[in-house]
Amino acid sequence: MTNPSAATATNVSKIYGHGDSEVRALDNVSVQFETGKFTAIMGPSGSGKSTLMHCMAGLDEMTQGSVTIAEIDIASLKDKELTKLRRDKIGFVFQSFNLVPTLTADENIRLPLLLGNNKGNEEWIQKVINTVHLQDRLTHRPSELSGGQQQRVAVARALASEPAIIFADEPTGNLDSTTGNEILSFMRKAVDELGQTIVMVTHDPVSASYADRIVFLKDGKIAGELQQPTPELVLDYMKNLGH
Amino acid sequence: MWRIALKGILGRKARLVLTSLAVILGTSFLSGTAVFSATLNRTFDNLFSDVFRNVDSYVRSTQVIEADFGAQERQRIPVELVDMVKQVPGVADVQADIQAFARIIGKDGKPLGSEGAGPPTFGGVGQEFKGALWTISQGRFAAGPNEVVLDEASAKAGKFVLNDKVKVVAQAGSREFTLVGIASYGDVRSPGGATFALFDLTTAQEFLAKPGFVDDILVSGDGSLSDEELAKAINAAIPSSYKTETLTGAQITKETQDQIGTALSFFSILLSTFSYIALGVGSFVIYNVFSISAAQRQRENALLRAIGASKKQVTRALMIESVVVGLFGSTIGLFAGIGLSKALSALLKAAGIDLPSGGLVVPRSAIISTIVVGLIVTVASAWLPARRAGRVPPLAAMRETAIEVVALSRRRTLFGLLLIALGTATILAVTSGASNKWLGLGILFVFSGTITLGPVIARPVALMLGKPAEKLRGVTGTMARQNSARNPKRTSRTASPVLIGVALVTAVAALAASIRTQLDGVFTEQFKGDYAISTDARGFGGLSPSLADDINTLPEVERATGIGLLTVKIDGKGQYLTTINPATVEGVFDLGLVSGTYADLTPETIFVSQKYAKNNNAKLGDTIQVSLADAQVKTLAIAGIYEFDDIAGKYTVSRDLTKDSTVINFDLGVYIKLKSGVSDQSARTVLQAAVDKYGQGTLLSKREYIDKQSGQVNQLLGLIYGLLFLSVIIAVVGIIITLLLSVFERQREIGLLRAVGMTKSQVRTTVRWESVITSLLGAVVGIVLGVGLGWVIVYALRDQGLSSFSVPVGSTVSILIMAFIIGVLAAVYPAWRATRVNLLSAITTA
Repeated sequence: MTNPSAATATNVSKIYGHGDSEVRALDNVSVQFETGKFTAIMGPSGSGKSTLMHCMAGLDEMTQGSVTIAEIDIASLKDKELTKLRRDKIGFVFQSFNLVPTLTADENIRLPLLLGNNKGNEEWIQKVINTVHLQDRLTHRPSELSGGQQQRVAVARALASEPAIIFADEPTGNLDSTTGNEILSFMRKAVDELGQTIVMVTHDPVSASYADRIVFLKDGKIAGELQQPTPELVLDYMKNLGH
Repeated sequence: MWRIALKGILGRKARLVLTSLAVILGTSFLSGTAVFSATLNRTFDNLFSDVFRNVDSYVRSTQVIEADFGAQERQRIPVELVDMVKQVPGVADVQADIQAFARIIGKDGKPLGSEGAGPPTFGGVGQEFKGALWTISQGRFAAGPNEVVLDEASAKAGKFVLNDKVKVVAQAGSREFTLVGIASYGDVRSPGGATFALFDLTTAQEFLAKPGFVDDILVSGDGSLSDEELAKAINAAIPSSYKTETLTGAQITKETQDQIGTALSFFSILLSTFSYIALGVGSFVIYNVFSISAAQRQRENALLRAIGASKKQVTRALMIESVVVGLFGSTIGLFAGIGLSKALSALLKAAGIDLPSGGLVVPRSAIISTIVVGLIVTVASAWLPARRAGRVPPLAAMRETAIEVVALSRRRTLFGLLLIALGTATILAVTSGASNKWLGLGILFVFSGTITLGPVIARPVALMLGKPAEKLRGVTGTMARQNSARNPKRTSRTASPVLIGVALVTAVAALAASIRTQLDGVFTEQFKGDYAISTDARGFGGLSPSLADDINTLPEVERATGIGLLTVKIDGKGQYLTTINPATVEGVFDLGLVSGTYADLTPETIFVSQKYAKNNNAKLGDTIQVSLADAQVKTLAIAGIYEFDDIAGKYTVSRDLTKDSTVINFDLGVYIKLKSGVSDQSARTVLQAAVDKYGQGTLLSKREYIDKQSGQVNQLLGLIYGLLFLSVIIAVVGIIITLLLSVFERQREIGLLRAVGMTKSQVRTTVRWESVITSLLGAVVGIVLGVGLGWVIVYALRDQGLSSFSVPVGSTVSILIMAFIIGVLAAVYPAWRATRVNLLSAITTA
């Protein structure tokens, strides 16, 4: 049985400049991310992987094409509706500066809910906090947490509102490999045990191997994909792509 | 370093503008007030040199009483001198001059000009004269007892045309005249907004002054003698028994200009005090901006250090920037100030004070002082932040974000507490007997201590004030609250302008409230009647004494009495005596006699206050020598001693004291007690009719009268609210600048919040509440400080009879509301900027 799509991009193009100086960051990309799967987007620098994520998450405007998140066409949304969509249906994990320094870990985790004046599902939130092992860190401010703990808070925040999809942009880019692997395990657990959908942008084959599926991007186009990857498979595939 | 500094400035024009804005604001008040004062001075100088242009000599009495506040009362001279002067060889023409009170009543029955507050209302002599002050522009000069000439401005204001009937109130009562001419004074329609009613010489003497007397004589020479020789000749021709002096035209011009200059200098000092307070408050903003911008450039400076720049060089770069900003800001401030002074003139014109336009005077001293003071304040404000910038470790270049280091040293707390303790001790010393002189020092210590402690108290107070925001606004409120507390130094520096302004205003409001309470008590105690007639024409003119007499004849009235003021000399010093009518005063206006009866007060006796008697060891039967304005000396025996000296002062005499002199009596208030059984309605009707007959004064019930007396204190408040306004503008600009810089600093945070679902309106709410909390922080601390300060001032004035202290509840509440509004207004632009943060670049910059 194929899972329904949590996010779909159809013929998405992102063009900077025009005429001779025109740059196609995304060139007619179509891709689907299935619900309950962990997908990685890979590609060399400038391949358009971050741009694709930004366009699909409603953080950046695309030039052409359409994107649907949880069956909502985001191109038609105004800023306010788009903001609400990000708040309620999308979770984010960024590479760095993920947390609001003036809020505690607990407040940071609940931030999207608090912004929406939404109590959320307390049972779920506790489950998320337990999954990322933050029970005893909840009253701490970000400055009192280690880099790994900060990213765990970020993952918990992304999960807290039970979003339709979570976008993670190089979530382990600033961490050492042990801490990085820990975060990736949590994300894996979130998909396997909590049934979440995650799309992660990365350039690291090891990180990508935690995913169920890898989508490769090159020069703004889909260059191929890989199911159930291992680091070795990924490296091989990338060599074939001329990376 | 020069190049790096200049590149740094030009590279960030927005920052240059923000920093300069603080300098511009401070210096523009400085130059504005200087230019305005100079222009005003020049205007009056020109006016009086015009007025006396054709006057060669000026004859007047040498007898003059000088009282407090620069008030002068010069004796009149006999009219026969006019003919005597005319006979002196070399004299071509003379004019007798009278300057007295006269009020023109408009067609609607209301007096022209505002009572009390506005420019004076004069009556004088208008006639053909070679050295004419007045030139007829329509009709002719008045001739005979039924004719009057008005100045152009008054004629226009009252919509009077030739042959209209004009009612005028003066010393001799109220009369109707026929308008036969309209005149102008020098080049202007009316000098300084004053109103003039001009009569022929005989009418003027009898109606405005006393028959047989004039104020001075203006002389125009025939050219055969120099002005000095002419003055000498005239002086020689007048017997010395007349006690006169003759001045040349140049001398009287200079003297008048100097007098005006002195009067204006009070005004100029007041204005420049305000502008220096504004600049002081503004320097907090300048200091704050430099601190923040130095902190935000921490990485850049660390990089400079890492690649080999010395501490000194980094510091110097910032100092150079401050010099450029100081020069740039002060120069713009100078021009902005010139604009401001134009606005002030326009404001005066709108208020009915039409000054002859002599063009703007921009003295060189104003230009130099504005630029120099602006530069010094800017560079001094930048010094500490610049030194701090030099001390940045090169390693800071590698750090991720540059947020101002917030370390609150114990030393700061100790130093602040020490200052406050020192100040409190000084103030306590004063309250327990030390000289009032130390009070200022004590207050200064407490202020400096509070400002020093600011960063320490900012965090807990801001967190406390932010509680409601959190309750009201949820997580956006929490963030606003935490943002306002996250950098206590910055918050307290931003709140300081609000604090200073609010503290000053609260202190004055407390003083005013205390005076009001006191006055209320005093009048309630002494005023036993039901109605009062009050006039605002203080010092010049007032109610005719016959008004009280008229009212006394009314069948509805049990008793009415007038209270007036008389300027005399006692022991060679100008003094004010209170005049009462001993026949009617009892039971209406209570002096609280402790010895003697009202019947004991005759033209040969005087009453003194208990305090005076005690201080001077005076007892009943002792005599006091009083010289009246006409140089008559009276020896008065003390016949009574009274307790209530708040209104009456040290001396009280009978109004009949001046009966056989040229001195004119006015009442300042008439107090009325009704017969029992007379209804308020009928009393008001008959009393109003009596007042209308004189065209002067306002009829008030006892309550209204007492409210009005205490309400006069509000004029003091009006002035202080002007000061508040300056502080408000600076505070608003300060908050705007800080918020803008904070928003800039928190771009990534805002970008993150937007990404995870904060709407634009929530972003605005966060900024707005942060602003409100900051503003309220300043207001709350300022109010606490101001109430304390007010109490201290009231205490210091206890010798002046101020015995009760009141907390100005109303003002305090309105200040808090205003602080809230300031916060909301100041946040408008920064909040908008915050919503414009580029989401993508904020979250992707590594």
